Amino acid sequence: MTRRALRRWFWLHKWASLICTGFLLVTCLTGLPLIFRDEIGDWLEDGLPYAVVADGAPTINLDRVAATARQMYPGQVIGTIFIDDDEPKVMVAMAPSWATYTADPNSAHWIKFDSHAGVVLKESKSFGGNGHSFLEIVFSLHRDLFAGLYGELFMGLMALCFVVAVISGVVVYAPFMRRLDFGAVRSSHSSRLRWLDLHNLMGIVVMAWLLVVGVTGIVNELSTPLFGLWQLTDVRATLAPLGGKPGLAESELISPQAAYDTVKATLPDMTATSVIFPGSPFGSPYHYLVWTKGKQPLTSRLFSPVLVDARSGAFVSAIAMPWYLRALEVSRPLHFGDYGGMPLKIIWGLFDLTAIIILVSGLHLWLSRRPSRMREAEAELFASCASSAPAMSGEAAE
Amino acid sequence: MSNTRRRSTVEIWRWPAVLAIMTICGLLCALLGQTGVWLVLSWFALAFPLLLIVRHLCHLNFEDTRV
Repeated sequence: MTRRALRRWFWLHKWASLICTGFLLVTCLTGLPLIFRDEIGDWLEDGLPYAVVADGAPTINLDRVAATARQMYPGQVIGTIFIDDDEPKVMVAMAPSWATYTADPNSAHWIKFDSHAGVVLKESKSFGGNGHSFLEIVFSLHRDLFAGLYGELFMGLMALCFVVAVISGVVVYAPFMRRLDFGAVRSSHSSRLRWLDLHNLMGIVVMAWLLVVGVTGIVNELSTPLFGLWQLTDVRATLAPLGGKPGLAESELISPQAAYDTVKATLPDMTATSVIFPGSPFGSPYHYLVWTKGKQPLTSRLFSPVLVDARSGAFVSAIAMPWYLRALEVSRPLHFGDYGGMPLKIIWGLFDLTAIIILVSGLHLWLSRRPSRMREAEAELFASCASSAPAMSGEAAE
Repeated sequence: MSNTRRRSTVEIWRWPAVLAIMTICGLLCALLGQTGVWLVLSWFALAFPLLLIVRHLCHLNFEDTRV
């Protein structure tokens, strides 16, 4: 690498890092509790406990759940019934009407049922997330800084800056290490050099993790527009032949359990995770839309929507999922670190802490530069890899 | 560490490459395996880079520092 190229990469590393460091610090600090959100959620849970049942006890009929929900809120519509395969719960999302819901998604609320006893365990006032205000605040800070879609896109851009910072950091690593062993931390020199060495050591050791979490972070921030794109293209194309027909009245619908059973019988290799009612903005006016997933380790990450005719109960079709949503689905576990038990979560937390140290040390290196003598400070960094100039010009010849 | 001999590209990238491969393998082991021995393999593969940082930090000598 020529000296000029190195300076350019170094400039890129400095500015890409400076732009995103503040936001990345927020992301890393809020990400730490989010790694353990299941545990924190359980700990903060204030609903009734699950019924204790024998293994293999039958789960409740979805029609009974729907009937109870309608009894509790007469006149309201059911949007989705979500069947958890992890915890024995069935969640029912309701709204005053489809029009109210479309105008204000916060008009929706949910009811949590025990999937064996069928009793109501908890209710939410609005739909906003999982009902734990602490985790909601932390999650919103992490994802969009309370700024909705624009916040998501902005944080996606910051994640992109972070990925650029990591890549440029890896590029400038080699010239700095020409005269040093791997992992050398020059503790007997200046404090600034020690921080530089620590920054280089930690950054290069966790670079693969940083890149994976950065790239999957970008993909996750794009999930809203990606799902929107899919609804506008594939979903609309599937429903187009039916366009113009009037929507169905509630009395015309087959029961949700019947739709669920149809999917189970037609696709025995899939697990149905949620039933979206006809009329929902997330579904179809004429069908139950049942989300299914596979039963193998990898396929259980891949969700596919299936349409069931809401009047006849016949299996209609599975809607093809485009590659960009498949990529999004695979990105999720790789970003959250929640797919390998508690040890993986702890490791994820330690990687996150390492990332925080890298950010802080990078910031410290920039702040501790000599005021108004930036170029000199940079020169000091370049010179830090003792007599590096011949090394670099030697490299240019390579 | 004190010797100023010029390191070759292979010498510089040997450890970072090994660590990156271990990290990726660790991430994929847990994602594709999801059970038993695959998970344990993943934990070891991912913990190794972190332990390496700790090992290098332990060798730090803070007393001899000129600020």
